[in-house]
Amino acid sequence: MPPTLSTIVEEARLAVQSLVEYAGGLVNPTLRLGVTGLTRAGKTVFITALVHNLLNGGRLPVFEALNSGRIARARLEPQPDDAVPRFDYEAHVRALVDERRWPESTRRISELRVVIDYQSANGRARTLTLDIVDYPGEWLLDLPLIGKSFADWSAETLRLSRQGPRAGLAAAWHAHLAALKPESPEDEHAALAAARLFTGYLKACRDERYAMSLLPPGRFLMPGDLAGSPALTFAPLELAATSPAPAGSLWAMMERRYEAYKLVVVRPFFRDHFARLDRQIVLVDALAAFNAGPAALHDLEGALTAILDCFRTGRRSWLSNLFRPRIDRLLFAATKADQLHHVNHDRLERILGRMTERAAGRARFAGAAIDAVALAAVRATREAIVVRGRERLPSIIGVPIAGETAGAGAFDGATEAAMFPGDLPDDPERLFTGPCEGFKGLTTSVAAEADYRFLRVRPPAPETSDRPVLPHIRLDRALQFLLGDHLA
Amino acid sequence: MSAHRKPAAFRLDDPHVVVTSPDEPRGRGRATVLVTPEPEPASVVVAVEPLKARRRGLPWGALFWSALGGLVTLGFGLAVAQLIEDLFARSDALGYFALALAVLAAVALAAVVSREVAGLLRLNAVERLRERAEAALAADDHDGARAVVRDLLIVERVEPRLARARSEMQVHLKEIIDGADLVRLAERVLMAPLDDAARALVAAAAKRVSVVTAVSPRAAVDMAFVLVTVVGLVRRLADLYGARPGALGLVRLLRLTVAHLAVTGGMAASDSLIQQMLGHGVAAKVSARLGEGVLNGLLTARLGLAAIEVSRPLPFVALAKPSIGDLVGDLLRRRERADEAPRPAESGTPSPAA
Repeated sequence: MPPTLSTIVEEARLAVQSLVEYAGGLVNPTLRLGVTGLTRAGKTVFITALVHNLLNGGRLPVFEALNSGRIARARLEPQPDDAVPRFDYEAHVRALVDERRWPESTRRISELRVVIDYQSANGRARTLTLDIVDYPGEWLLDLPLIGKSFADWSAETLRLSRQGPRAGLAAAWHAHLAALKPESPEDEHAALAAARLFTGYLKACRDERYAMSLLPPGRFLMPGDLAGSPALTFAPLELAATSPAPAGSLWAMMERRYEAYKLVVVRPFFRDHFARLDRQIVLVDALAAFNAGPAALHDLEGALTAILDCFRTGRRSWLSNLFRPRIDRLLFAATKADQLHHVNHDRLERILGRMTERAAGRARFAGAAIDAVALAAVRATREAIVVRGRERLPSIIGVPIAGETAGAGAFDGATEAAMFPGDLPDDPERLFTGPCEGFKGLTTSVAAEADYRFLRVRPPAPETSDRPVLPHIRLDRALQFLLGDHLA
Repeated sequence: MSAHRKPAAFRLDDPHVVVTSPDEPRGRGRATVLVTPEPEPASVVVAVEPLKARRRGLPWGALFWSALGGLVTLGFGLAVAQLIEDLFARSDALGYFALALAVLAAVALAAVVSREVAGLLRLNAVERLRERAEAALAADDHDGARAVVRDLLIVERVEPRLARARSEMQVHLKEIIDGADLVRLAERVLMAPLDDAARALVAAAAKRVSVVTAVSPRAAVDMAFVLVTVVGLVRRLADLYGARPGALGLVRLLRLTVAHLAVTGGMAASDSLIQQMLGHGVAAKVSARLGEGVLNGLLTARLGLAAIEVSRPLPFVALAKPSIGDLVGDLLRRRERADEAPRPAESGTPSPAA
């Protein structure tokens, strides 16, 4: 696609913006850390645990600056961007520590500013301002739309919706679509119905049994204040020709709205938030995909690849600081690693690495550092060995949340249980060979047949010590990777 | 991997499920399922080295020595040029001969310098490798550990006695092993044979020193002998572990060794040392020279152990650090040992992983 005037203007705005930020950063260095991940990946819990550990000086042995005592203190400061909601840290901590329930999920972008006073290794007192930006991963999946025309997007979405388990979920929408003629005159009610059915299909894909990930446009799932507006009232159409849409047709209307969606939703997000990040952590709930089955795993891989395509990764240099912001460190984190015994953690990291291989190779070429880690921002389980008959099962002990079922009955949210979720394979390729040969999940079979079963567990009981510390797995390694060099 | 095991969940309040503690394992009794919680891995304390402060300002000392060295070199060059000119003035043949000699000397000097630089670089590489191995162990870093082991294989590629261990390790590299475990495995596979050889070297040197001290007529003689033995020992240990330092590298290594000795309180008598000294104090009563010999031997052994720690490319984690006790035993038992046939494994020596 040749650069249009609007993309050139966009680039110029980005450059000016980063120039202004660079001037400010000379006096008071600021690091913008983007935290994202698809729904239920654990973004809110990750940020809450990260800030809680920083503020309270948690047990983070691998995070060098804190462990060697160079961080004097960390404190919260008023959120700098006036148009962005503040991350409600206090409420989330209360939910997590006092009420022992997981905080509510991210529905929109939010931001939190943490200021870290530390002494550099050569003894100078310094301050690092850390802006943590939390946004739904679904919005990220919108970014590739910027480069796609309505016709391309329609064709792609339709093709995807006819594959595997998606076809069944999209049946109602497909039936409606078959009756629509793109060349017919524009009709608000037809558009509304199509959009409603299309949204229903997207929502159904997200169900626990299917756990699909690649579901753009993201605002259809999380409309926020745009619900019902024309920018969200469109759907893909079955287009035969690539000729321009006839004026006044349904096709033309849909195309206009698709472009409007890009203009009012996608572009501002990219400009105001995404392009300003310095560091990025992408949280991935691989365990939900294991629960659902190979189709969900393939879908997750597709979503990660799409996400990675829009990262402007690359090593920061003096000049690039001035003109183009770039993300120079990117961490993939498979969250909820506490639902696996630690013997399986390496395998989980390997599977994550396999899913992000292609895009990671490109980012590495551009000079960005990439790492994959299996972590649990809040560790809710203990490990145990279960001996049943002649088997020794590496298991975990935790309190499943009320309503989770396994075997005979449902859990009441107070009983402890030892869970063996299944062995991850040594070789990640085995999960990816063939759409249904890899393993059995909830999508294609009943719960008793599934090869993996990860139950959701309640947050841990608070420790009875003088300092409230949230237990975690490898949060310190993630912090060291994301912040370590700035605190040297 | 065996056939896939199905997921399962067990309620802890189920009468068929019994929870035991890891400290007091119990029989299964009438329970069908036994749950044993594991100790918290999080409570393991990891030591992380604080970052070293960077030195600020100009390195004046280094500048002084570099400038002075430059001046001396210039002066020397001038003198040589002058000499060749004078010889040319006397006879062309002499002049050409001197020129040829000068060129030869320059080439040889370049070769020596490059060898020394290579030695220093190798020594540096070994030191960095040890630091990286420590970091990989602390962080249980998967990729880091693999890089460490790969570099270790490169450092040790010239050591013939490790040919089999090296190929074994190449196979392990392809398997799925946690970062820290991989470093430990590499230590057991690659370092164990070298450790045995190093221990033998130190013991032999200590023995030689103690014998020579006991029989030497003058203090000056055994001082010189100790010095030569120690320098030789440090060099051979470094060669053994793959550092292969040149002369400059050797000086640096000796400095590091002595510094390490000071840091670890090497001169302080450890409990095993006191035990040995008291036990064999009888020997010292019989002859002052014999006692002195034993003491000198002990000091040599200590220095040797410090040299092992400095030149070993991996830290001692999976294998036990050789202690002065093992060596002192050898040193004092040499008479009995001489009668025996060589044994496959010495006391306290961890045998290499089969």
